[in-house]
Amino acid sequence: MGPVRLPRPQSELPNLNVSNDQGLLQWISTVDHKQIGVMYLLFSVLFLCIGGLAALLFRIQLALPNNNFLGPEMFNQLFTMHGTTMIFFVLTPAILGFSVYFTPLMIGANEMAFPRLNAFSLWIAFFGALLLYFSFLNGGAPDGGWFNYAPLNEKQYASGNGIDYYCIGLLLGGIGTTSTAINLIVTILKCRAKTMDMRHLPVFVWMVLVNSFLILAAFPAINAALCMLLLDRQLQAHFFDPSMGGSPLLWQHLFWLFGHPEVYILILPSFGILSEVFQVFSRKPIFGYKLLVGSGIVIALLAFGVWMHHMFAAGLGITINGFFSASSLLIGVATGVKIFSWIATMWGGSLRFTTAMMFACAFLVEFTIGGLSGISFAIVPIDWQLTDTYYVVAHIHYVFIGGSLFGLLAGLFYWFPKMSGRMIPERNGKIFFWLFVIGFNMTFLVQHALGAMGMSRRVYTYPDIPGYGTLNFISTCGAFIMGMSVLYLLYLLMKNKRHGKEAPGDPWDAYTLEWMTTSPPALKNFGALPPVFSERPFRDLKTERLGKKNIN
Amino acid sequence: MIKLVVGTEALFFVVLIFGYVYFAFNPGYSPQALRLLNIRSTGMFSLFLFSSSFTYWRAEVNFDKGKLFRLKVWLTITILLGCLFLFGQGREYFNLFRENLIVSSNLFGTSFFTLTGFHGLHVFIGLIMLSIVLLLAFLGDFDRPGSSVIGTVGIYWHFVDIVWFFVFSMVYVLPHFLKQ
Amino acid sequence: MTYTCQILLTIQSVFESATVEAEKVNALTFRFIIAGSFIFLLVVGLLIYVSVKFRAKPDAEPIQVRRNKKAEVAMIGIPFLMVAFFFYLTIKTMEATEPPVQNQKPDIIIVGHQWWWEARYPVKNVVTANEIHIPVQKKVLLQLNSGDVIHDWWVPSFGPKMDMVPGINNYLWLYIRKPGIYEGTCSEFCGVQHAWMRIRVIAQDTGDFQRWLTAEAMPALQPITGPARSGRTIFMGLTCAGCHTIKGTVAMGRAGPDLTHLASRETLLSGKMENTDENLEKWLSHPQKIKPGAHMPDFIFNKDTITALVAYLHTLQ
Repeated sequence: MGPVRLPRPQSELPNLNVSNDQGLLQWISTVDHKQIGVMYLLFSVLFLCIGGLAALLFRIQLALPNNNFLGPEMFNQLFTMHGTTMIFFVLTPAILGFSVYFTPLMIGANEMAFPRLNAFSLWIAFFGALLLYFSFLNGGAPDGGWFNYAPLNEKQYASGNGIDYYCIGLLLGGIGTTSTAINLIVTILKCRAKTMDMRHLPVFVWMVLVNSFLILAAFPAINAALCMLLLDRQLQAHFFDPSMGGSPLLWQHLFWLFGHPEVYILILPSFGILSEVFQVFSRKPIFGYKLLVGSGIVIALLAFGVWMHHMFAAGLGITINGFFSASSLLIGVATGVKIFSWIATMWGGSLRFTTAMMFACAFLVEFTIGGLSGISFAIVPIDWQLTDTYYVVAHIHYVFIGGSLFGLLAGLFYWFPKMSGRMIPERNGKIFFWLFVIGFNMTFLVQHALGAMGMSRRVYTYPDIPGYGTLNFISTCGAFIMGMSVLYLLYLLMKNKRHGKEAPGDPWDAYTLEWMTTSPPALKNFGALPPVFSERPFRDLKTERLGKKNIN
Repeated sequence: MIKLVVGTEALFFVVLIFGYVYFAFNPGYSPQALRLLNIRSTGMFSLFLFSSSFTYWRAEVNFDKGKLFRLKVWLTITILLGCLFLFGQGREYFNLFRENLIVSSNLFGTSFFTLTGFHGLHVFIGLIMLSIVLLLAFLGDFDRPGSSVIGTVGIYWHFVDIVWFFVFSMVYVLPHFLKQ
Repeated sequence: MTYTCQILLTIQSVFESATVEAEKVNALTFRFIIAGSFIFLLVVGLLIYVSVKFRAKPDAEPIQVRRNKKAEVAMIGIPFLMVAFFFYLTIKTMEATEPPVQNQKPDIIIVGHQWWWEARYPVKNVVTANEIHIPVQKKVLLQLNSGDVIHDWWVPSFGPKMDMVPGINNYLWLYIRKPGIYEGTCSEFCGVQHAWMRIRVIAQDTGDFQRWLTAEAMPALQPITGPARSGRTIFMGLTCAGCHTIKGTVAMGRAGPDLTHLASRETLLSGKMENTDENLEKWLSHPQKIKPGAHMPDFIFNKDTITALVAYLHTLQ
């Protein structure tokens, strides 16, 4: 038997249009990064609906004081699954989906470095999600909160199987995420167009690169914590068991050592998307390219130095609290730099307010609110007052939804023509925008007040304290408006995928290489590539600025 | 690529080692439990593992020079040394079980078996990879130079060795010196 | 500004400072609100300005500015100075409100349990549950422990909160200014009835507090009436005594709240219900319906047993 060899293709691969209906089997078995990207996004939307439904259910329970729509056991499972789902199985697949779809395109590559690994990552993550949800059928979902503190997560306090499903589901999802991160790093470092220097990478690609390193460095901590927890629960080990010398705080340290970088993992790609959207729709280069990339790297490094700000109320002492207060305040400065850079990009530009741009602008406001409430938590005594209240819930949703999700929605509206070959009418996009923004702010703005009024989080009901009922009711109404707007979005996506106006290759007069392809791109992304002299290679090609020393 | 894998796995071991060392000081491990460890026997088997890095390096050198028979010989020796190491670990575990020390006995049992267990698992995965490489070598896949497989697997194997160096130091050597 | 403060003060909020610590924290919070509002208005203002001024024009591309050193320095420098200022205030406020405990003995030890509070007063060897009396005009040191999972003790108007971690002693300093009733809640998710682990602090002048403490230190009053005495017999005979303590009797269980002076409390079940005979009856008939998941199982008592027990418990002033 001779050596094992792959056949070398005799001719160019055929120009297949990815959107041709090629059957379910083809989709499930594909290794094409564009199809995998689309499947990641579908995966994300599916769990957005499920996680969102969980939220609507517990918002109904919370709409009135002393309500009994849901009992405490069900409530605890729902809010745990809501948080876990949204972070691991909605935001993560969404960012990975955009990353694997557009990274190769933006660097002029025809595929990811490891296409089969790409497919494996998607499917193992999906399997992890299914396993997590299977818990509902086997004794109940995990109910310890998405951060699942010890010793509440130990067998003696959580005797069902839910927490075990949580551990295994997240371990599998983590394997998927880690593999994709490795894939992305190798793709960016090794598969770029030959003339594309690192200093001319689009900001989105830089953010994906930095993010991937962040993933590789952060996931080991939670993997270790989950393995330790499984050992404690299944083999009666003692990692988190204080009666045998173990440490409940160890869980918190490991979890947040992962957890804090995780939230940056969820937002950096959105920062990248916004950088692209702002520059295209202001008709100007991104302001402060070096500053944006640099602050992204600073944020990634600092992300590992801030985790104990989740533990300011755990009694660690003034020295430790002080150190982590300083690092958390600094990371706020690095993030603020980005907000101002994006505004500076718009300054002096020629602004087109497409739906994508509107989400980008809304992001500026919402993420500033979220960022400021975050900085308030870096100020330890304020954290002592407001941690574990609805003020935190408000903060996290302003950064997760107003930050990460708005960036992803901007990306969705920006890239939908490229991915589907169709346009979404601007009027409809804007209706969705306003519905969603109104619903979102209605739901979460009042929660700042609820927190300041002393309402603790993760409570299945609350006494009839003046103001609680009204504000909670308003919040629930907002949640339903959000729910309806998401349904409208799904309708828009499905309808326009079928019947929308056909999209040209470059509907927005954009700057980066993905717009050089057809909409959607052919199976082989690029036939030929222009030489790259800036982070806006397509613009340079269109405006015949190739090779000229670019002052503009 | 393998360096990225090694990087992320290295951090995983850093966390486990950190946990082990933390518990060693706070609240500390029972001296009776620590006394059950057999530094001589494990030390000898560790030498086998460390020398397997050397033998793998020889395999790589011979592959680069095109000396295929020697490549296969050194690969085989590497695998044997790795298996011997795992056998030694098994013996150590068996002796501890006989003394009623298991993962649930106490904090030492928990930390020790977790740390060494995950390391052993990584060695085992490495042995599988090495066996596949050996098989491919016999199938003629490395008859011509240019493959990066041998180098890649080598990085992983050396990593597994380096981790053991740290684990062995923390678990076996350090208490020995702290006792004096 | 004063008007807003007045509105804020009519509803329960963290801005009602009942302690010296809360006053200091809230002073810091107000400063932050000002700084934060400035940043927010700046961002919104700039956004509105650019949106209006730089709307799309039909002519050629605008000037392709990529950098502006002055702007870059400002956007890093000004926030940096602001955070440095707040960092300084953070350290100062931490030191002023919750200084490290050297070797001082705690005045009150509060132990969090699923889903009730145990309070011990070492000075007079008093153990009580759920309603915690604290003297005012005195810097009190609370020691916070847990009997099972992580809980957190927080009264919004007192300022800081502190986790109760099993195996660790955490501390909280409080200097309450005025007597009154202050409410709070457990602030770390601790399981199924986390929502009903409410805190009720009765802050009292020293005289009142000492009187209360002395009364708490006494063993339980002897029941006089017939039903109450049979209630006591039932209580001591059944598993009640295995979980609850009533000082001066054989009931010395530690799994559930101390009931020695149950009748002197205004609420039951960590704030879930008012302390009335009717509510006690409801609770005893069907605990799992009132507080599902609580560790008190559904005993199946008949009506007479319950009446007797309630009569007995009523005497525990």
